Amino acid sequence: MLKIQNLHASVEQKHILKGLNLDIKPGEVHAIMGPNGAGKSTLGYILSGREGYEVSEGSVDFQGEDLLEMEIEDRARKGLFLAFQYPVEIPGVSNMEFMKESVNAMREQRGEEPLSAAEFLKKAKEACKQVQLPLDFLKRGVNEGFSGGEKKRNELMQMILLEPTLCILDESDSGLDIDALQVVANGVNSQRDGKRSFIVITHYQRLLDYIEPDHVHILANGKVVKSGDASLAKEVEKEGYAFLGQDNAEEAGA
Amino acid sequence: MSQWLQQVIDRGQAIDDWLSPVREQALESLRQTNWPNRRVEAWKYTSLVPLEQLTLSSDSTKTSTDIADIEGLNSLDLIFVDGELQSDITAMTLPEGLHISSLRDAADEQKTTAKALFSQIKPQRHLFGLVNDVLAEDGVIIDIDADSHIERPVRITNLSTQGQESHHRVLVRLGNRSSVTVIEQGQGEQASLSTGFAEYDIGEHAQLEHYRMAMHTHKAIHIGGCHFSLQEQARLNSTLVGYGSQLSRVDVDIIHNGEHAKAKFNAIYLLGESEHFDLHSTIEHAVPNGTTEENARGIVGDKAKAVFNGRIHIHRDAQKTLAELNNRNLLLSRRGQINTKPELEIYADDVQCAHGATVAEIEEEALYYLRSRGISRSQALVMLNFGFIQELVNQMPNQALAHWLQPKLQARFAEMEVK
Repeated sequence: MLKIQNLHASVEQKHILKGLNLDIKPGEVHAIMGPNGAGKSTLGYILSGREGYEVSEGSVDFQGEDLLEMEIEDRARKGLFLAFQYPVEIPGVSNMEFMKESVNAMREQRGEEPLSAAEFLKKAKEACKQVQLPLDFLKRGVNEGFSGGEKKRNELMQMILLEPTLCILDESDSGLDIDALQVVANGVNSQRDGKRSFIVITHYQRLLDYIEPDHVHILANGKVVKSGDASLAKEVEKEGYAFLGQDNAEEAGA
Repeated sequence: MSQWLQQVIDRGQAIDDWLSPVREQALESLRQTNWPNRRVEAWKYTSLVPLEQLTLSSDSTKTSTDIADIEGLNSLDLIFVDGELQSDITAMTLPEGLHISSLRDAADEQKTTAKALFSQIKPQRHLFGLVNDVLAEDGVIIDIDADSHIERPVRITNLSTQGQESHHRVLVRLGNRSSVTVIEQGQGEQASLSTGFAEYDIGEHAQLEHYRMAMHTHKAIHIGGCHFSLQEQARLNSTLVGYGSQLSRVDVDIIHNGEHAKAKFNAIYLLGESEHFDLHSTIEHAVPNGTTEENARGIVGDKAKAVFNGRIHIHRDAQKTLAELNNRNLLLSRRGQINTKPELEIYADDVQCAHGATVAEIEEEALYYLRSRGISRSQALVMLNFGFIQELVNQMPNQALAHWLQPKLQARFAEMEVK
């Protein structure tokens, strides 16, 4: 599904990723944990194609294609989805119009007819209920005036509607209370079908109580320093990131 | 005295027709006029160099006079090619209460109407208005009887073809309590110069729905104006669309001469490449109790340049005036330029006025967000940035015209790719 080899990347001349390796097979859930500044969010942005990040070395293969050569929208159309930590507010574009456009862009990619307004509305209502957002959120501007938790649920709703093959969740648990956390976790779990893969980026182990990962990686100072199964997350929860050593922790926190 | 202006005067002096007495006044004004340079406020951001350097060919083969029909508009079409009326008005069946004649072949009665309008509404300060006064030999006179409601829109189109210079005039009188829709459309791509000025006298309780489509592009130079006089309780709803060519300029004057008149003026301009569009509007509230709402919105891409100067002048006696002026711009590129200046000049003390101007840039964050959901860059740009233009298109009272214009504007916007 996704194979990252020796990835080096910088933003504004700052070297952030320093030889990252990751191999994700279909259906797997990988958790990426690590201290602040380790490069977790950068990884998500680079995979999604955000501008301003320079890849100086390494490769990313997504379903047999060179991901780094693709336009932002093409990555999405080929099944990559990033749930943002801080989704942007776009007043003036309704959530409904936005999601209809994106769902139809995916359908076009698959050679399917675009959905009519009525067909889309039906699907959108179901997804809206699934993430427990009131239906009037469909009519509001994209993320406009949404609380932190509502934004996260709105991201999840898009994920459900777009049916991606690889979902990257960037701290989808941050700022959520326990109920909201469960809604997000249930949403993710409902999308696990043995083929769809997930990268769950999180600072805390908490979310992983609800979304059981197949693999856990600790990212520090721009690379994976330790990998293991779900028990590694529990270890981190107990011990903190102190085992990374003073040097790493300091640089990572910078 | 510039060479260009001198040849206008020379040519104007040679014209001898029934409008000569009026033309003589304009000639006299032109003789006193200095050719504007960039230090003249009205031409500060618009250079006349392209006009001075324009070389016109004498090749007079006319290109096709086909004007695309607008579906569902059902208009009465008056088609000019290079300032000469091609349509045969005598062959048209006009609705009762509507009288149309050409400037060239006007009968005595229509000449009287024309003389009451010609250069009577358009302020003298417009240099190219004077040029048009002197050189416009053709045009139309539209006269609407009192209490007549003309359902079919009147569409006046002028096509500018390669190497041609043209000057045409539109004179419209709306009798008391009458109503009509007038569409003025100008088009041209190739090296040419056109001036087109229109004067409207909107009678008491009369309603004018008006559109000016300045769709000149590339090398077609156009300088023109629309000038409206509103009598008591008159209503004006006007929409202007500007495309921009190497030099495009439109001056609009809305003059409240009667109390309780209402004017709504919306303007849209979309410019790409090295296009230039200049809109100067002046609202004169000479009497009390008038209302004006003006919204000008534009998108400027690439190396294009937009100039907007919107002035509201409220005279000492014009108490209880309500006037709003707003200009919003979106700049798509670092090399593009927008010069906007709203001006309020208020001499009455009991009025409500507001004005504002903004220039925004592309929101990269939002663009990235939409693209990360599979929406193409160009579609995302339309979703993010076309809404404020769309709003004005939606406000156009004529649905057929709005439906025709909408995809044209969107296609034009899509071509204005960000550099």
